[in-house]
Amino acid sequence: MLAYVVRRLAYGFVTVLGVLLFLFVLFFLVAQPEDIARKALGEKAPREAIAQWITNHGYDKPRFWNADAPADTMLVDHFTRMLTFDFGNSDADDTPISQRLREGIGPSLSLSVPLFVLGIVLGISLSLLVAFFRETTIDRMGVVLCVLAMSVSAVLYIIGGQYLLGKLLRWFPISGFDPSPDVVLRFLALPVVVGLLAGVGGDVRFYRTVFVEETSRDYVRTARAKGAGEGRVMVRHVLRNAMIPILTQIVIAIPFLFTGSILLESFFGIPGLGSITVDAINANDFATLRTMVYIGSLLFIAGQILTDLSYTWADPRVRLE
Amino acid sequence: LKRTAVAALLAAHFVLAALLAACTNNPYPVSDDAAKVLYLPFDDPPKTLDPQVAYSTIDHAVIGNLYDTLLEYHYLKRPLELIPGLAEDVPSPRAEADGRVAYTFRIRHGLRFHDDPCFALGGEGRSTREVTASDVAFALARVGDPLVNSPVLETLEKIVGLKQFGERLAERRGADPAFAALRIDAQYEAAAPIEGVRVRGPHELEIVLGEPYPQIVYWFAMPFTAPVPWEAVAAYDGREGRPSFAEHPVGTGPFRLARYDKRARIVLEANPTWYGVLHPEWQAPGAVYPAQGEPEDAARGLLDGRYAGRPLPFLERIEMRRDKEDIPAFSKFLQGYYDASGIIQESFDRIVHEGELSEEMRAADMKLVKGVTPAVYYLGFNMDDPLVGAAGGERARKLRQAMSLAIDAKEYARLFMNGRGIPAQSPIPPGIFGYDAAYANPYRRVDLERARALLREAGYADGVDAQSGKPLHLSFDTPDTSARAMLRFQFFANAWKRIGIDVEIAATSYNQFQDKVRRGAFQLFMWGWVADYPDPENFLFLLWTQMGRTKSGGPNTANFSHPGYDALFLEMKNRPNDARREDLIRELRAIVERERPWIELFHPEDYALYHGWLANVKPMGLSVPTSKYRDIDAPARARLRAERNRPVRWPAALLVAAFVAVLVPTVRTYLRERQ
Repeated sequence: MLAYVVRRLAYGFVTVLGVLLFLFVLFFLVAQPEDIARKALGEKAPREAIAQWITNHGYDKPRFWNADAPADTMLVDHFTRMLTFDFGNSDADDTPISQRLREGIGPSLSLSVPLFVLGIVLGISLSLLVAFFRETTIDRMGVVLCVLAMSVSAVLYIIGGQYLLGKLLRWFPISGFDPSPDVVLRFLALPVVVGLLAGVGGDVRFYRTVFVEETSRDYVRTARAKGAGEGRVMVRHVLRNAMIPILTQIVIAIPFLFTGSILLESFFGIPGLGSITVDAINANDFATLRTMVYIGSLLFIAGQILTDLSYTWADPRVRLE
Repeated sequence: LKRTAVAALLAAHFVLAALLAACTNNPYPVSDDAAKVLYLPFDDPPKTLDPQVAYSTIDHAVIGNLYDTLLEYHYLKRPLELIPGLAEDVPSPRAEADGRVAYTFRIRHGLRFHDDPCFALGGEGRSTREVTASDVAFALARVGDPLVNSPVLETLEKIVGLKQFGERLAERRGADPAFAALRIDAQYEAAAPIEGVRVRGPHELEIVLGEPYPQIVYWFAMPFTAPVPWEAVAAYDGREGRPSFAEHPVGTGPFRLARYDKRARIVLEANPTWYGVLHPEWQAPGAVYPAQGEPEDAARGLLDGRYAGRPLPFLERIEMRRDKEDIPAFSKFLQGYYDASGIIQESFDRIVHEGELSEEMRAADMKLVKGVTPAVYYLGFNMDDPLVGAAGGERARKLRQAMSLAIDAKEYARLFMNGRGIPAQSPIPPGIFGYDAAYANPYRRVDLERARALLREAGYADGVDAQSGKPLHLSFDTPDTSARAMLRFQFFANAWKRIGIDVEIAATSYNQFQDKVRRGAFQLFMWGWVADYPDPENFLFLLWTQMGRTKSGGPNTANFSHPGYDALFLEMKNRPNDARREDLIRELRAIVERERPWIELFHPEDYALYHGWLANVKPMGLSVPTSKYRDIDAPARARLRAERNRPVRWPAALLVAAFVAVLVPTVRTYLRERQ
């Protein structure tokens, strides 16, 4: 098990190096430092200001090879800084990127964690329900509703939610965010409801398939033959055995709670990590974008490893060698 | 079990009811209901709060309140009129030797910077200090410093020695790293003097220009020249975790920055050490509400006796909240959670009927104020182009005149701007000296017959070149590739098609477009210009040879070059607003009318919508701070907000009922199955 984890981490590290190399090619070879500086300072910026900006951001070093000091190149710099989580300053406004990440993580998590937990609870309970009533009217209605919910674009949920719950019924603020504890809930309610609606259809369809497949297994028949009630069969036997595919889907999503939801954060004006990415794209902020892509890849790899590890916990038959 | 289910249902119902009772769409804490807080939305965060650098509207919306300038504009009088701000009076030019012109600014005594820890650099325990002439000189030195990257350096280089100062700085920094590492004030000291910036005493500053430029005074009403403490620039250098000066302003204005979370929330609060607050007895023009204005202002409620002569500001706080999307922002404005707003295209017809507020909006005590922005939008010809430009001689002139006669600016404004634009007859917009409402440009009406006749005379009958027999094919160059913009450009292409001219829209990336403009490889374009200051010079210079885009990178994108125009322009630019100046402007206008380097389109109209509880709203056109004049009737706002935003609760009950309706049969089926 330990050997397996170490091996996976080593593979992960190699993947990260590959991602970093890819980022280097994309951001340092394709984009010229002078162009980035002109984007930040304006077309008419004086030579001195451009030169100073490039130096301040470390874009003036040789790219691959420096005969005088082999370690003093942009390539080495890029790798060491990223691997030590020293992200430097934003290309757009020179604020430290790590400070901005710290500011964005709170709002992002305060939206993504409740959405994630409630999404699982709602998805599993609804899918257990329709799986229990499989091949009945309830199940068929569930299919219709789920497919309907899946077919509608998330943006429509957002605009519709803002219109219905914010504007017509006036239950929640249309948009905005305020982290103070006495008001934060009212800002989160609407994006959470919208996020749940947008996600629940797909979740229920997926979980239901898993559950229905499990209910036709032999052990379910045995359980029933022993005299276990339907509810007990569903919760004690089917749910437990259906955990593996469900876990895969859930655990792989956990790391991405940290990156926030670009769409929800943008429309509801939540200053989280998702909107940092959007702002960085709009402002030609390459340094921040690079950081966000890197963090995304780290989280993805972490998610993969976590998923594999969670199998052993969910199913004792799985052995990681 | 049935009983448990019923109990659970009831409990759920009560929890839901309790939650709903707590429901509100109010995005602000109740404690702020009684406070005079102005709420405004913003979309993109400010780029910089450095007054010597900031140029965008949102930047100015923030720093205009934080940094006072030596001069300001009268809030009510139109055309805009300069009044003293931090200065005691508006200086007049004084001729010096060699054609130089000097201005003396007398700066008020007892002005203080915002409290800030950076002042400890000037002496232990200090938290502020008096504003002196040296602080204005420091600001001007920053404009000249190439590392500051001020966008107005080119204009302010008219100050003698500013350019040389920048060159000396750059040279010494380049030659000596130790010099570049010195504290900023020491660097400026060592590279001094700037010949045309003379500090005559703590409260007297003399500015000397190399040539007459009467418009210089307007630049002292803009943040570029606002006094800045060297301590703040030195302390906030953006290194080792310290904020940069662009994010940490220290000014002299009526408000100070209380919170700068620029991606979400910007809060300004009234500055208790502002000179208007410390010295109400001065009755300084920039620190009290004006008693005079335009004749119509009384009827608009802008000359209310409660305000005249009262010390500013009236607001306790300005809260700016970020709303990236304009539809939610506008919805929140309608709910009363923002105090003022523009009008979004999607809702325009609901808000405005035939130029007036709709019945529904009037009933909601909404107010509309319209103002013409001192700006002009136009279609331009590249006068360097062999076909449409000056080299084409009389043929090309007639072609330009014909094309001008085909464009219906009024229809354009109706289709694409909800009619929010006044068809332009000349480069000069209303509200600027030299604007003549009675003037109708004979080439700026739609007359297709005349246009076709002109084309025939030019040898382009029906758009076919008589000499070569080939149809005319022109190119309209633009950096805007959006679908929305394409519709607009297609409008022009269709208009020209009607007189037989085929115009292709060449939409490219911004870089490619810039490159085409640099090389002079373009024919037609659309551009706009918004005034920096209210003077005709700021519009007519757009056609001055010296401002040519391709040759000198100036804003004369049409590359118009006309010796007669240049001579008249030079005389007009340095004159006071008198009858002779008016004559000169008329002559300049006649040249533009005949030569047609531009097809003037419109002067945009700004429709500002605000709630009845917001007092003293008058648009300035320029991006000038007005918040200190505004007032909020907070109790009225709180009452109306509560009235209009009472949550509708019955759908929640319906939702619970529906839930029960689904759950009961489900539970029953479940129980039956169990048995």
